[in-house]
Amino acid sequence: MSGYKIECISLGKHYTSRNQPVIALDDVSLGINGNEVTLIKGRSGAGKSTLLNLMCGLIKPTQGKVNFNNVCINELDDNSLSKLLSDEIGIIFQSFNLLPTYTIYENIELALVPKGLSKIANRDNVISLLEKFNLKSKGHLLPWELSVGQQQKVAIIRTLAKQPSVIFADEPTGSVDDETAAEIMEYFKHLKEEKMATLILATHGNIYEGFADKMFFLDNGRLI
Amino acid sequence: MYYIIKELRSHSGRTIAAISGYFIATLFILLFLSLTKTNDETSTGILKGTGTHFIVYVPSNTACCVSCDTDSSQGSLFAEGVNTIMLTSDVIDSIKNISGVKDAAPYLLYKIYEPKFSSDISLGGISMNSIATKNNVCAPTNLISGKFLSGDPNEVVAEESFAQAHNLALGDTLKTYGGKLVLAGIVNSGIKPGKADLYATIENVRNILKNELKCISPGFDLNIVLVEVANARNQNQVLLQLKEKMKYLTISSYNCYQPASDVMTIMEKTSGVLSILIFVFLIIFSAKTQLTSLMERFREIGILKSLGWSNYMLSRQILFISLIQAFIGVSLGILTGYLIILVMNSYHLKLFSQLDFQFKYASIKLLLALSLSGGLIAGIFPILKLYRTRAGDMVNKFM
Repeated sequence: MSGYKIECISLGKHYTSRNQPVIALDDVSLGINGNEVTLIKGRSGAGKSTLLNLMCGLIKPTQGKVNFNNVCINELDDNSLSKLLSDEIGIIFQSFNLLPTYTIYENIELALVPKGLSKIANRDNVISLLEKFNLKSKGHLLPWELSVGQQQKVAIIRTLAKQPSVIFADEPTGSVDDETAAEIMEYFKHLKEEKMATLILATHGNIYEGFADKMFFLDNGRLI
Repeated sequence: MYYIIKELRSHSGRTIAAISGYFIATLFILLFLSLTKTNDETSTGILKGTGTHFIVYVPSNTACCVSCDTDSSQGSLFAEGVNTIMLTSDVIDSIKNISGVKDAAPYLLYKIYEPKFSSDISLGGISMNSIATKNNVCAPTNLISGKFLSGDPNEVVAEESFAQAHNLALGDTLKTYGGKLVLAGIVNSGIKPGKADLYATIENVRNILKNELKCISPGFDLNIVLVEVANARNQNQVLLQLKEKMKYLTISSYNCYQPASDVMTIMEKTSGVLSILIFVFLIIFSAKTQLTSLMERFREIGILKSLGWSNYMLSRQILFISLIQAFIGVSLGILTGYLIILVMNSYHLKLFSQLDFQFKYASIKLLLALSLSGGLIAGIFPILKLYRTRAGDMVNKFM
C-alpha cells in the first residue's frame, strides 16, 4: 500500500437550513502526509464529520478543494471517484452504517464487490478478518443481532477488508465500551506500526492523542 | 445478480407492492383487451354492416325502355319514383372493380298500372344469393309465409303490405303482367331502397318484359345496380370513386353508414385512449413505487456509494429490480387473466349477459413489451435522482 498525501485548501461548506445560513466548515487548509496518523479534534458540532466527508469526496465543498496526491477529488467524474472510494479510501462511519437487511458477512462483502475480486478471494479475506476480531461465528447474523461494539467492529472490518491506502474514521470508538475501544485502538496502532495506511481520525476524546503524528483542532467550523 | 435477488427478497413487502401494481394493471389491460376483441367482433361487426348498401340507376323522362314498342300505359322501368333507362351488365363489372365494394347485383324493377287493382303494381326481378340483393331488396330471411323463389316460371313472392291490401293468399293466381303469376310466398323486407310489390327471379322478369310486354332491349337486362360495401367506414370513399368514374349514375344511399362509421371511430379511439390511460397509470404507479423504494433505500444506496459502488452499478441494480418486478407482475397478470377467461368461458359467463371475454394471444407480446418499457421508464426517475445526489448527502440526509 502506498501512502496518500492529502491536502485541503481553503475548504468550506456552507448551506442553508430553514432559511438560515449555516457555516459547517470555513476556510480550512491542512496537509496530511502518507502513512501518518492524523487526529482531528473538536467538540460535537465543530465540523469534524463534515471535514472528513469533504476529504473523502462524499460531499462537495462550497469553497476550496481537496487534493489526493495532487489530484483534486472534487473534479473527479463519478467513475474515478467510485474507483478511488473502492480501491484507496476506507470510511468508518460514526453510526456504523451497516445495511440492516444484509448479514454481517454480506455487509463486509458488499465493500469488496466494486473491486471485482472473486467470491473465493473475498470469502477468505472476510473470514480471516472476522476471525481476527472474534466475530467469525457471527457472520450469518444480521447487524441488529450484534451488540453496538460488535457492530462497530464489523464497520471497521468492512473498511479494512478493502485494504485501503487511506482510512477515515469518524469517532470509531465513540459508542463502544472501554474494552472494545481498547481492542480497536490496538488495531489502529498495528496499522500505524506497519505503515499500512494513512489514518485520519475524528474524535472529541483524548484516547488517540498518544499515537497521533499530527493533530488539528476544529471549533465552529474553523481550525484553531 | 445475487444482490438484486437479495434486495428483492430483503424488502419483500415493497417487492410485493410493486409486483402487485404491475399485476393489477396487466390483469385490467388484458381483460379490457379481451373485451375489445369481443366488442370488435360483435358491436363493431354490426356497425361495419350498417348502411353498407346503396342503389345505382340512371333517371330518364322516357317510360319503359328506349326499344319499347308499346306506349307508356304498358308501364315503365323505375327507381325511387322516377323512370329509368336500361343498363348493361358491364356496369356491374365496373362497380365490382371499385375498391371497397363487396358485392354488386343486377335488379330489374318495373311497374305497370293494373286496372283490376286500381293501382300500379311493381315487380322486382332479383338476383338470388347476393348479399347486395339481400340488403337492398329482399332475401329468404324476410319470408314470413310460404316459400321463397325457386326459379319456377310465373312464381312470385309478395310484400306483406301488398298481399294484405289486396287480400292475397298463398297459391293465389294474379292475372297481371300479361300472364298468370302464382303467389308462392309472402315477405316482409322492411325498409329497403329497392322495395317492390312483387318479386320474381330476374330471369323470369326479363322474360315477362320481353315476351309479354314486348319491351325488347337486347343486351340491356337491368335498370338498377344493387351495391354492398365491405365496411361502413369505406362507403364514403366508394361513393366518391363511383361518382368520379360514372358521372351519369344516380346514387341513392340511406346515409346510415355515416353514424355507424362515426360510432366505430369513437369506439376505436375510446379503446385506444383507455388502453393508453391504463398504461400511463401503470407507468406512473411503477415509477412512484420505484422512486419510493429508492427514497426508502436512499441511505443504503449512499452507503454503497461510499463503499465505492459506482452510479452505473447502482443504476443497473435499480433497473434490473424494476424490470424483474415488472416482468413477474405482468407474467402473473397474464396467467391470472388467462385463467379467469378460461374459467368464464368454461361456465359460459358473460359480462352483462352479452359480452364474453376472448383471450388475445397477441396481447401477451404487447403486455410483455409494456412491462419492459414500464420497468425501464419506472427505473429512470430513481436513476436520475441517484446520479444527481452525492453519497454523503444520501447518507446524512436520509438517516
